[in-house]
Parts: sequence; C-alpha cells; structure tokens
Amino acid sequence: MNSDGSREPGGGNRKPFWYLRRRSVKSDVDEELNLHLEMRIDELAASGMTRDEARQEAIRQFGDLEATRRYCRDQDETREKTMQRTLSIQDLGQDLRIGIRSLLRVPLLTLTIIATVGVGIGATAAIFSAVNAAMLRPLPYAHPDRLVRIYTDTPPFKFRFSIADYLAFTEQQTRFERHATYTDRAVSFSNGEIAELLRTRVVSWQFFSVLGINPLLGRDFSETDGRTGSPQVALASHAFFQQRLGGRADAIGRPVRLDGADFTIVGVMPPAAGPLERRYDLFLIQQFTPPTRKGPFFYSVIARLPDGADRNLAATELRTINRALFPIWKSSYQDDKATWSMEDLKTNLIGDVRAISGLALAAVALVWLIACANASNLLIARVTSRRQELAVRAALGATRGRVIRYLLVESGLLAAGAALLAVAIASGGMQLLQTYGATYFPRTGEIRFDAAMAWVMLALAMSSALLFGLVPALNATGGSVDESLRSSRSSTAGVGVRRLRQVLVGAQFAIATPLLIVAGLLLVSLNQLRQVDLGFETEQVLTGSIRLPGAQYQDQARIDAFWEELKRRVAVLPGVSGVAYADGLPPNQPGQHNNFALEGSAPDEPQHVTPWVATSPEYAATLGLRLIEGRLLEERDVDPDNLVAVVVDRAWARRFYPNQSAVGKRFKSGGCTDCPFTTVVGVLSEVKYDGVDQPDQGTVYFPISGGTFRFLIVRSSGDPLSLAPMVRQSVRELEPAAPLSNLATAAGLVDQSLLRPQSLSMLVASFAGVALLLSVIGIYGVMGYYVQQHMKEISIRMALGGSRGDVAKLVVGQGMVVVIGGVIVGTMLAFAATRLMSSLLFGVGATDPIAFTSVAALMVMVALLAVAVPAWRAMRLQPAAVLRNE
Amino acid sequence: MPKNPLPLLQGTLDLLVLRCLSGGTRHGYAIASIVREQTGGDLTVEDAALYQALHRLHRQHLVDAEWGPSENNRRARFYTLTPAGRTRLREETANWRRYARAVDAVLQGA
Repeated sequence: MNSDGSREPGGGNRKPFWYLRRRSVKSDVDEELNLHLEMRIDELAASGMTRDEARQEAIRQFGDLEATRRYCRDQDETREKTMQRTLSIQDLGQDLRIGIRSLLRVPLLTLTIIATVGVGIGATAAIFSAVNAAMLRPLPYAHPDRLVRIYTDTPPFKFRFSIADYLAFTEQQTRFERHATYTDRAVSFSNGEIAELLRTRVVSWQFFSVLGINPLLGRDFSETDGRTGSPQVALASHAFFQQRLGGRADAIGRPVRLDGADFTIVGVMPPAAGPLERRYDLFLIQQFTPPTRKGPFFYSVIARLPDGADRNLAATELRTINRALFPIWKSSYQDDKATWSMEDLKTNLIGDVRAISGLALAAVALVWLIACANASNLLIARVTSRRQELAVRAALGATRGRVIRYLLVESGLLAAGAALLAVAIASGGMQLLQTYGATYFPRTGEIRFDAAMAWVMLALAMSSALLFGLVPALNATGGSVDESLRSSRSSTAGVGVRRLRQVLVGAQFAIATPLLIVAGLLLVSLNQLRQVDLGFETEQVLTGSIRLPGAQYQDQARIDAFWEELKRRVAVLPGVSGVAYADGLPPNQPGQHNNFALEGSAPDEPQHVTPWVATSPEYAATLGLRLIEGRLLEERDVDPDNLVAVVVDRAWARRFYPNQSAVGKRFKSGGCTDCPFTTVVGVLSEVKYDGVDQPDQGTVYFPISGGTFRFLIVRSSGDPLSLAPMVRQSVRELEPAAPLSNLATAAGLVDQSLLRPQSLSMLVASFAGVALLLSVIGIYGVMGYYVQQHMKEISIRMALGGSRGDVAKLVVGQGMVVVIGGVIVGTMLAFAATRLMSSLLFGVGATDPIAFTSVAALMVMVALLAVAVPAWRAMRLQPAAVLRNE
Repeated sequence: MPKNPLPLLQGTLDLLVLRCLSGGTRHGYAIASIVREQTGGDLTVEDAALYQALHRLHRQHLVDAEWGPSENNRRARFYTLTPAGRTRLREETANWRRYARAVDAVLQGA
C-alpha cells in the first residue's frame, strides 16, 4: 500500500504535529469523496451519459456534499483527538509501570532518595508551618490590622505603662476607637479540695471588645464592672470552664475563690485562639485605684484604630499627648527622649522572631536543597549507567522528549514517594513544634495543616522532582544516540557527566558550609552563655514561689507571721543551711525595674532605671553573693513607710559613682520628690537579673516586707531537690491554701533561661549535621564513580611504573579540588549571610575568624576521610587483572 | 430506478454499512454499490449519508480505515470491521429481526 506515499505518510499515528494532522484529515476526506464521485461518473459515463451530464448526475445523487465533508472531517478529528489522548494516557501509564518496576529494582537508591528528599520536604514544611502560624497568618481577632500596641518608647527599650500612665492616657481625647490594658497575675485558687496556682490576666473592661471577641456564654465585662467598689467579676476561659466549673452553664453567676476573695463568673470565653488570651485560666476585671506613685510599669496597652484611620496621625497624636502630659511625665520617668509610641500588634507580638524564623527556615530549606542535589547526583550516576538502555529506546523511535518524559516520570514517582514521607514527617514535626517550639516561635498553638501548608508541600515536591530529575534527564539524552550505542563505556560522555556531578557536589559543600558555620556560631554563643559568670551559687540552691490567698492575709501582722514561721520551719529541716526571701530571682526574673533620682542631680535631669529586688537579710549569704563594701541589709532596715537603706551591686556603684565609694550615697526612688532620701549602705557582687546575655545594669536590693508573693530560696548542704518534699510539706502544714510553685534548683533556672539559645543551636546544628552527611555521601559517590570509570587509566599508569602514592594523590586531589572549591564558595556566602543573624549571637562576632576557619577545616577533614576510601580502592587495584579483563 | 423508493428508517443505515463490511474490506464506493444492488432500489440510500455513517462508525472504532490501491489503482480508503464492529453487527442484526418479527406479527394478526 501507499504506493504514491510521497504526498502523505502512511497511517495517522506517526504524524507528529497537530497542524499536519489537521491538513491530512481535511485532504483525506476530500480525496475519499472525490474518488467516489469520479468512480460514479465513470460508471454513469459508461452507461452512455456525456461526461458533464454524468458529473451533474453524480453530484445530484450524492446529496449534500459540503455538509458531508464537514461532518466527516469533524468525526475524523474527534477520533484523532481521543486517540491522541488515550495514547498519551497509555504512554504515561506505561511509563509509570516501567518506572515503578525499574525503581524497585534498585531499592537502596530509591529508598535513599525518598528518605533524604522526604525528610528535606517534611522538615521544611514543618518549619514553614511554625513560621506561617507566627508571622504570616493574621491574628485571630476581628480586623486584626487595626489593632496596635501602645508603649513608652525609649530606644532601644519599649516599656509598658504604669497605672498612672494608663489613667492619664484614658483621660485624653484620642482617635482610637477603644483601648484596654492588661497585666498578668498568678492567683491561688481553692475549691475546698485542691489549691492551685492559676494564670490569670487582669484586664480593663474593654479588653475583649478591643479584640472583638464575644463571650460564648454569659456576658462581657461592662463599664460598671471596672469601677472601683463594684463587685469583683471574672470571665472564665473555655478550658477552665470545662475542667474546673464542670462545663455547666449554671456556673455563670457562681463565685470562685481566688486568693481567698470571691469573684463572680459572669461569662465564658470561646476556646482561645490568639496569643493574647491563650494559656490563661481566668480573666479578672481591673479596677483602678488612683496610684500613689508613678511606677511600676506592669500594664500592657492595646488599642483599636477606627477603619481607615491614618496611623501617622494617630502616632503623632500619641506623641503630642505625651508632651502635653510632660510635667507629670518628666518627674515620673527617666528619660527626655521617652515618648509614647505605637506599633502594629502583630509586629509587636512577633517580636524578634524574624531572625529566628528566617534562620530556621533558611537552614532547613538548604538541607532540602542539598538532599535534592544528592538525589540528582545519584540519579545522574544511574542514568549514565543506563545510557545504552535509553539509546536503544531512542533508536526504536522514542523522541528525546519522550525519553525525558519517561525519566521525569521516574523522578516524579520518587518525588511522590518523598512527598508521602514528608507528610508524615511534617505532621510529626508540627506536633513537636506545638509541644516544644514555644521556646523559639510565638503562636505555636496556632500551628496546623492548612491550605498554605499543602501548597508549600506540593511546590516543594514538584520542584524536588524537577531539581533532581531534569538535570540527569537532559544530561542523559543530550549525547548522540549513535555514539552511546557504539561505545560500551563512553569515556567522552564520562567527562561531561563527571564534571556535572562534581559541580553538584561542589554546590552541596557550598550550601553545607554556611549552615555549619551558622551552627558553629550558635554553639559558640551557647558556650559563651554558659561561661557567663552568673554571680550566684547554682548547685546547692532550691527555689520556689509562694502566693498567699490575699483575702485571708490582709492583716500585715498575719502576713509577717506566716513568712517568719515558714522561714523558721524550713531552716530547721535537715540539710538546710540557709533560707531567704526575695521578690525576684536570677538569672531572668527581676522583681521590678524602678527609676530613681540621685542626690545632687538637677530636677529636670533624666532619671535612671535599673532592676530592683526586694530581699530578706539572708539573701546574699543564701545565694552566695559576696559583700564588697559596707554592710548587708538587716531587719532594722525594714521601714513600712519609707525606703531608708538599700544595698547595690558593684555594677551599680561603678555606673553611677565610677571613681568613688557608693556607700553613703543617697537617692530618691520612683520619682517621689517629697520622700526622704534612701541611703546606700553596702555593695554586693553582681548577679544577672535580666537574662544571662544582658550586660549588668546595676541592681538595687531593698528590704522585703509584707507582700503575699515571695520567692523562697533554700541553701542545702546536699542535693537541693531532695529537700523539695520536706519544704513542700512545711508550706502545706502552715497554709494549705498557699501552693508552693515553680520548684527548681538555681541551676535549673539557669538551664531554663538558656533553653531558647540551646534549642535553636541544637536545631540548626542537627540540620547542619544532615547537610554535612549528605555532602560527604555526595563526594564519596562521585569519587567512587571516578575510580570505577578510570580503572583502566589507573592500571596503565601503575603498570607503567606509577606508584600507589601517585594514584592516591590523583584521586584525593580530584576529590578535594571539588570540596575545597565548594567550601571556599560556601565560606564567602556565609561571610555575607551571618551578619543577618548577629542578634542571635552572644560573645562571638558574626564573622568570627576562628569559627569560620575551624568549620572549613572540619569540612575538609571529613571530606578527606570520604575521599580516602575510593583512593584506597584505587591503590589496591591489580593492574594486570584489570587490563586483562578489558 | 423503481418507483417510490422507501426512505430509510432512522438508525438502520449503520446496520447496513456494518453488514456490507462483514464480507471483507471495502471502500466507500463499493459499499454504496452493494447497498444499491441488494436493496434492488427499494431503499434510497444517499451517498452523503453513507459516507457520514462510515466516518461515524470509524470514530466509534467500529470500523478501521486504511488507505490502499483501488481496483484501477487509485488511492482509496478501505474500511474493515473491527471486533467491536462485528459484535455490534451481531447485536443490531438480532435486534432488527426481533423488531421486524414483532411488527410483522402484529400486522398479520390484525
């Protein structure tokens, strides 16, 4: 058939392009119908008609020629289209089948790729989920973009308001729609059976209406609730309602006993979603009593702007009001530059998480990239060894596109496997982050698998497939078919492939190096933090906190009696060598920050703010602080009306009286102008109260007196934790309604304060470890391949008298050129990138030369080990045997 | 031509075309000739409808089409029944017989 095939190729399937197919359908139909007409004309003419008559008759008999043409073409085209579609679906199905089969034939390779890339995708997605929850997702409040935080701005610090500040602010006309303030308080709750410490948030009455949250049951706070003298009311969190109030609606209107006083539950909030109300058991109404002094600064302020409000105007207004209040302000605050300022609530809540999120996300994404490069490398090796198989396919008529598609299907299968694994890993990672992630991310409770996550994972999986599939596919199909078929081990193709693999491995090292450097810097920081002289005894000290139920302990004498008796009882416990009280604890719980005016300073001079800690006289001895000058606080320094005597630390003394003794110096505290002077009576060694990584600002110690909240500090002669049950027992015997909370050794407190830098450095270090491992696997694989490809050359060299040392040098040299190139590029990248994370470092520069060089050296050393194995194998080649087999 | 040729009942053309092909591979003109001969002119089968039926059956994969040389060595499109077409022919033939018998029975009884 197809005798005059010059015009048309045979059957329709091989015609490659749609326009050719289209023309052929049209001409096929025309040709077929023409033939019919001509045969009919021939027949009619044979029966005696003239040719013209015959033509007219044939056309008449045929019927509607044009419509038939159209109909037939249409039918043919439909058929072609469906055939194409089924064909390509069949091809795809075939590719999938073959792909699965050929991947199963190399299970180790398949598993390696699925595992490494799967971990890469999963971990990246998990970290993304945390970043998404923390930074990208809007706050779960009504119109969250209109919520702002208002604070006192004294760069670089942002201070909260005091009651005095807030009341002054409330009296002003502002353009804010509404605003509220809140502060946190731990209260003891007892229902007759159990006494426990609750986390409560004391809020002004508009708190929830600012956020736009309505109670699930009952009512919100009203303006009346907020007035002094109104009955004390509280809103229950959903969890507290379920667990402690039995989840019954009749809980509303019932009293709960907090700190010994009754609060009426007026409503139940919906399950908390946002960072401002999550993790609190109860919300208590704030009733303001006009303050006697301007501090302390414990009140956070939030406000809602009206729709479409001009933020700049609102901010300017805040500054103007602040200036208008200036006279009060100046005497109450420390700094000329201080003003009121506002910032977007989300930005404010996220805080300094940007650097951490960026770092964690970058680190994990780099691991993913390295995993893809590794997979790409492995697949290149595999595809190279399959060159002949692919060449046969091509020779049998598969186009280059078809072969590439087959190879991409294979990588797609691998990526799909990796994605499946990644889903499991990501959900595991999200669980971990929800549980432990709070040390580095805010809003971890909002982590969940949402659409954004699904898209990210899909995108990661697809880019993985392209990343590790496209390069090998293009590479494998690039060479000429003919050549691939002829040479059983094509050394010309080998050079190109080796180059490509070397570049990939070099890239792996270039990516891994910055990661390791970052991890190194973080570990050095952590170590520096651990080296910080904390200034107090950590090993033999037990600490805990006690809150007395306020209603039962209103009488000062009774309070004093409790603390005295408790101290006496704990002191006689076996193994106890000292007992003290304080309202703050190192390393990161200052009692308060307070301002003061030094004697002799001008009235309009800015005041200073430092940590203030109230302590009992035994404090210094119990925590192991050294007295440098003067005397310690004594019982006689306690004066309920005035602050007479304080002890300061050496940093305070050096800061304010650099060249003279601070003992005997006087100041007035808290902006109180008509109080008597307070005298410094002694100087102690420094202790950190604002965090291990903060410089010493100078601490003021003043005598503790009264108060329903205190830290208990117990010095033991043995293991401090073994004292815990006895101390707990002593507290319970004395006052069952006063729970002893937060029991920990001082060393434990320090560890807790280092949790964040520690977990961050561990996270990044483990990513870096994986990156290093993958890179090492990469260089090992490439050099193993190199040796395998060059067995003949190496053998000839050895046969011609080359020493085994030369061979080792050759192989190691080849490998190390790649590694060192990668490490150099990586180091330069790190040099550019690490300054972005300087806020996360402590005691080490972002471009610390020691960290940089030691990481680079480490990578080279490890790579050297990995390259040594193939080099060793090359040295052990038996030239005669290899050459005989060739 | 005989007088008053009958119009073709809807749907029967496909059956006739399939039947014509059951004897072997044929091109369109041959099929048209067979239909004409065997009906003895009692049925009008327009060539237009015939070709439309052929292409329709081809689209439905009931017939295969292939180009080949005709008797006088012209390039012609030859149609062959596919296995699916053979099955369809069997079913449709049986259906037609039942139909005809049923109609006939009624007509005889009346």
